[in-house]
Amino acid sequence: MRDYIVRRVLGMIPLILIVMIVSFGIFSLVPNPFAALIENPRIKKSDIQRLIKAWGFDLPWYLRFFKWFGGVIRGDWGPSLLYPGSLARDIIARALPVTVRLMGIELLVSLAVALPIGIISAVKQYSVTDYVVTVFSFLGMSMPSFWLGLMMMMLFSVVLKRPDGMTPLLPAGGIITPGLEDASFWVKFGDRAQYLVLPVFVLSFISIGGWARYMRSSMLEVVRQDYIRTARAKGAPERLVINKHALRNAMIPIVTLIALSVPGIVGGAAITETIFNIPGMGSLIIQAEIKSDYPTAMIGLMLASVLVIVFNLVADIVYAWIDPRIKYS
Amino acid sequence: MAEKAIEAKKKGQKKSSEDYTYVGMVFHRLTRHKLAMVGAFMLILILLFVFVGPLVWRADPNAQIEGIEGLFNVPSSAHPMGTDDYGRDVLARMFFGGRISLFIGFISAITSTIVGAVVGLAAGYYGGWADNILMRFTDAMLSIPTFPLLIALASVIGKGVGQIILVIVVFGWMVDARLVRGLTLSLKEQEYVEAARAIGASANRIMWRHLFPNTLAVLIVSTTIGIGGAIIYEASISFLGFGVQAPFASWGNMLQNAQQFIWNSPRLIIYPGLAIFMTVLGFNFFGDGLRDAIDPKLKL
Amino acid sequence: MDNREVLVDIKNLRTFFYTEDGVVPAVDGVDLTIHRGEVVGLVGESGCGKSVTALSIIRLIPNPPGKIIGGEIFFHGEDLLKKNEEETRLIRGDKISMIFQEPMTSLNPVYTIGDQISEAITLHQKIDGAEAKKRTIEMLHLVGIPEPERRFSQYPHEMSGGMRQRVMIAMALSSNPELLISDEATTALDVTIQAQILDLMRGLQKKLGMAILIITHNLAVVAEMAETINIAYAGKIVESATAKEIFKAPRHPYTYGLLQSIPKFTEKRTNEPLPAIEGMVPSPYHMPKGCRFNPRCPFATEKCREEEPEIIELTPGHLVRCFHPIES
Repeated sequence: MRDYIVRRVLGMIPLILIVMIVSFGIFSLVPNPFAALIENPRIKKSDIQRLIKAWGFDLPWYLRFFKWFGGVIRGDWGPSLLYPGSLARDIIARALPVTVRLMGIELLVSLAVALPIGIISAVKQYSVTDYVVTVFSFLGMSMPSFWLGLMMMMLFSVVLKRPDGMTPLLPAGGIITPGLEDASFWVKFGDRAQYLVLPVFVLSFISIGGWARYMRSSMLEVVRQDYIRTARAKGAPERLVINKHALRNAMIPIVTLIALSVPGIVGGAAITETIFNIPGMGSLIIQAEIKSDYPTAMIGLMLASVLVIVFNLVADIVYAWIDPRIKYS
Repeated sequence: MAEKAIEAKKKGQKKSSEDYTYVGMVFHRLTRHKLAMVGAFMLILILLFVFVGPLVWRADPNAQIEGIEGLFNVPSSAHPMGTDDYGRDVLARMFFGGRISLFIGFISAITSTIVGAVVGLAAGYYGGWADNILMRFTDAMLSIPTFPLLIALASVIGKGVGQIILVIVVFGWMVDARLVRGLTLSLKEQEYVEAARAIGASANRIMWRHLFPNTLAVLIVSTTIGIGGAIIYEASISFLGFGVQAPFASWGNMLQNAQQFIWNSPRLIIYPGLAIFMTVLGFNFFGDGLRDAIDPKLKL
Repeated sequence: MDNREVLVDIKNLRTFFYTEDGVVPAVDGVDLTIHRGEVVGLVGESGCGKSVTALSIIRLIPNPPGKIIGGEIFFHGEDLLKKNEEETRLIRGDKISMIFQEPMTSLNPVYTIGDQISEAITLHQKIDGAEAKKRTIEMLHLVGIPEPERRFSQYPHEMSGGMRQRVMIAMALSSNPELLISDEATTALDVTIQAQILDLMRGLQKKLGMAILIITHNLAVVAEMAETINIAYAGKIVESATAKEIFKAPRHPYTYGLLQSIPKFTEKRTNEPLPAIEGMVPSPYHMPKGCRFNPRCPFATEKCREEEPEIIELTPGHLVRCFHPIES
């Protein structure tokens, strides 16, 4: 097992390098942000030249890559272009908790809803419940996030009002009511929660369908196995047959999928964050890349990609841990 | 008892599944799949709307009504879906926007599948270092968060229909590549492939004449589901402002444009969003039925 | 004729499957009697309804599409079909146990075999974990599994097919059932393992005295073990008699055909092909009119094509469903 992990970790290195080069290559297509400054008569030409040189925009992209990569190896991820005066690292550090909170809650909510309904749907295959779950799953899977987001915003922030008739039922965007930053923990908690309701609902509604379908098909696959018939033949009550014999087997692929979706918590959801004006990773990365702030965008992307690669290994290890038939050597 | 058996016999004679060819059998199963039929019906309606609609309702999608009275009109007999912020007829824009969205969806899904199939076939058939390099690259592409890079690419290479298709294909072929590689690996071991190799068939011929046709059924399913995904991608790119540019309409850029008028003219959001939603739902329903009809165990 | 107490008495059992392609009368009027401690064979080709009969007894017909639509299954004089789900569940695995064809897939891959046998024990007996473990190890020992203490904590994938079938038998017998149903339990195994498992079952039957219903397509399997043999064809029992009579004096043309198609090693080698029964098992959707065997029967007459024969007792204990039974 230890050899296996070591081998896998070594295998990650070329993968991470390819990811870096591809991402950097694509970013380098975004035009040099300083070129536009030349038009500005109030900035000295020599200053612009100096900036261009400092950022490496005088070099071809692959040399700029090495310049950046050299810094990264020394632990220097560079300054941010989007927020002049800040380190790219600090910009990311500000956005990260916002996104982790949003996406973490979203993942938990989705799983808490989707897994039970997927199981019920499979156990009662072809029942009315099953059809309703199936149709709703497809509705969610087909829903464009921005549209659902706008519709929800329209309903809960424009049409529906609180009893005072003035304030919207739920805030339309942002993460906290201005002025409450120094309030007590519980006040802030309640306030933040209000801001999370709509984005979490939108993101969950879209992903619940997929999770429920996975759970359902995994369960359907298991309940027709011979060992389920054996469990029934020994007189196990239906509850035990499903909760013990079927579920443990059906969860094997699902747990793997959960491990694979954990990195998404960091990557964020660009569109939903944009609509609800949430300063998270998804919208930050996109803003950074269109403004050619490659240091910031690269940290965001590398963080997300490396997690994907690492969690692929985690998923395989978890798989071996819950399925006694799998042994790596 | 005997009557029951005869009844069963009559029923069986008509519909026993042994009597069908493969395509016939898939079609037969498909017609029994309720959701697939609902999906097919929705797609037919949408295609009629987009392609026959403009023949019935002849309005110029880009013609603007002069003057402030022409803007944000509510639906009326002159403009069944009202007018937008430039005083353009929304119904006409829905027709032509739909054509562009569907075109982008179809072409990018099909092209992604072809690219994925070529990569997967080559990796699976040649094996060895070719497989190693191609699959490492595929894995790397799958590890990158697609959406930010897709936006980055879209923001630089331009905003035409062709460029958007290119962007979607660049980030859309990997799953098909893996799928086809897996199928190829198992097919390659079968006797008829061995036989073809023994009589000296070229690698190209074996790949395209013997291996590819056997992956076709799976690829059709993945393309069908992929069209829905590509339409959402187009809409997402457009929504962030990097999609098809004005004055051309697409359902995505209509939504993006409407966003700022959410407070006073919400219907501008409802129409294109509903159209995207229904189209994607139609493809998902139909694709699911197709998968069940071809092979219910397929993981797609 | 048999003075032992009747344990199971199946009367006119009918189990149909309602599929998209039509109704399948998988079991269509099966009668079967099993006495206490008796070994009974139920023999027929695949699709004749023998497994469905067994699953009907323990009420494990998947519904939908299957449904028991008629008949009675008396167990100790009580109709099992009148019992509710909870009552049948308590009988399943306790008084009536069943083992299946596929030992490779019949055990749950994620639990140890010790777990799975102990579960069967604690489901029906009020004993604690330690005692269940003791009993499990006893059972493993009883079915001839070496080193039962070590095997207790192994997973199914660490065992061979023959060993797994022994585990299944241990599980089935752990509550001292009065009836063990063996549904093609040896079919998937190698011939030598098959013989070992059959030996084991015969030995355990002598030791524990339970009745066994052996379901198989292979007459040779029941030849040595069964006292009574029932031959099933297309959802009906066509002949029922003691094993001796079935082999010596078959009366139904189908039974006769089956016996003819078994190679006999005592005969001189000839170049004659082995006689086979003409034609094919009827499709369940296209059951023939009249006697279901008539299209394949060399003795079929107009009557056979029109009317369905009832089962009749030709000699005491020998029942045949045929208008023209073969003269002995």
